Amino acid sequence: MRITLFDYGAGNLHSLAKALQGRGRVVAIEPNPIRAIETDFLVLPGVGAFGAAAAALAPGRDAMATAIRAGLPTLGICLGMQLMCDGSDEGSGDGLGIVSGRVEKLHARHTPQIGWNSIDDTRDTLFAEPRLGIAYYANRYVCRPADADVVIAWSVHEADRFPAAIRWGRMIGVQFHPEKSSAPGIAFLQRVIAEAA
Amino acid sequence: MTLTRRLIVCLDVRDGRVVKGTNFVGLRDVGDPVALAEQYEREGADELVFLDITATQEERATLLDLVRRTAERLFIPLTIGGGVRSVEDIAAVLRAGADKVGINSAAVRTPSLINEGAARFGAQCIVASIDAKREGDRWVVYTAGGHTRTDLNAVAWAQECAMRGAGEILLTSIDRDGVRTGYDLALTKAISTVVDVPVVASGGAGLPAHVVAAITDGGADAALVAGILHDGVTTVAALKSAMRAANLLVRDTAA
Repeated sequence: MRITLFDYGAGNLHSLAKALQGRGRVVAIEPNPIRAIETDFLVLPGVGAFGAAAAALAPGRDAMATAIRAGLPTLGICLGMQLMCDGSDEGSGDGLGIVSGRVEKLHARHTPQIGWNSIDDTRDTLFAEPRLGIAYYANRYVCRPADADVVIAWSVHEADRFPAAIRWGRMIGVQFHPEKSSAPGIAFLQRVIAEAA
Repeated sequence: MTLTRRLIVCLDVRDGRVVKGTNFVGLRDVGDPVALAEQYEREGADELVFLDITATQEERATLLDLVRRTAERLFIPLTIGGGVRSVEDIAAVLRAGADKVGINSAAVRTPSLINEGAARFGAQCIVASIDAKREGDRWVVYTAGGHTRTDLNAVAWAQECAMRGAGEILLTSIDRDGVRTGYDLALTKAISTVVDVPVVASGGAGLPAHVVAAITDGGADAALVAGILHDGVTTVAALKSAMRAANLLVRDTAA
């Protein structure tokens, strides 16, 4: 199984690449969005700013959106999840539009939300026992999907309840960082990959 | 539920080894950073900080190699501080495997570095690292590892850092660093009440009660500890149970 991390140029991919490893898997890092979709499992990692990431995505945006809609198993983490939406208040440029809705700032006094927060109201096999109950977040923006049915888990920061995870077909998006959520986060990632295999 | 209060373990590193001193001087070797990082994750630390306390250009390559080796084995957030002078330095540290970058002297010299870093990499990975020393009824910012006095008021500077896009403030009391008499609660409070980004209290932890006080009295989101763990004075588990006993929400980890 080939797992490809689309690298839009910002942050730490080492921990994530390591966390996705397993028997019979090849984990690759690919900066070209067109080449990135020639894979069995696509990962959009989580560090950076929306505008810069959307610009890196732009040349392959339509091809990637088409591949995901056609059933390419995909995981978007944090900013990677936000790129599944139409656009973001954080920066200009288009997202992939897999999930209709925009990325908006958290309605909270204390932002960014940095730290460990609980994952609530889960309704998906990915959150079966042993459940990932608490995970690491580092975000000022969140997805606001037009259709709440895509949301498979929620979290709350101050008074704002926001989507912790979404699913559309074979695309999973998580606002938290499983690769930074210690052993339970790694187990979650392994479950996502195992489901797609 | 809501965000838990964090316990952050800091390893001062120099030339690939963990060292610890008092008031920024008198360094002692206390171990291998990668092994210690993994151990602290297992014990329940919520995050780790590597502070490169010399960061000469020759040692920079050693640090980046250390970050790479650590990132492949550590699955909690890792912040790197020390010697970050430019956007290129921020990029290099993040590429090597850091999740956040602490900027200290360079931000004082070139405040726009915070804006540029936040715009390019996201605010969540830009940590304004502030070393403050009390002077009468105020605190003054020092740079260069506590050696150089500036004219900046620490409270005003923290506000400016947050305004420029820093996602977090790592606030170290130079007076308390390594002396284990407790965090500077007044300093922590003065800053946590005026910024909306998380404040990490640093410098002075000697007892579990000090960690609790940093959060309850100082208003910090997180407390940073170093020497008391490296010297075996206490453990991550003991500190977290003290936090739990004080009704602070903390992340539970399987023992």
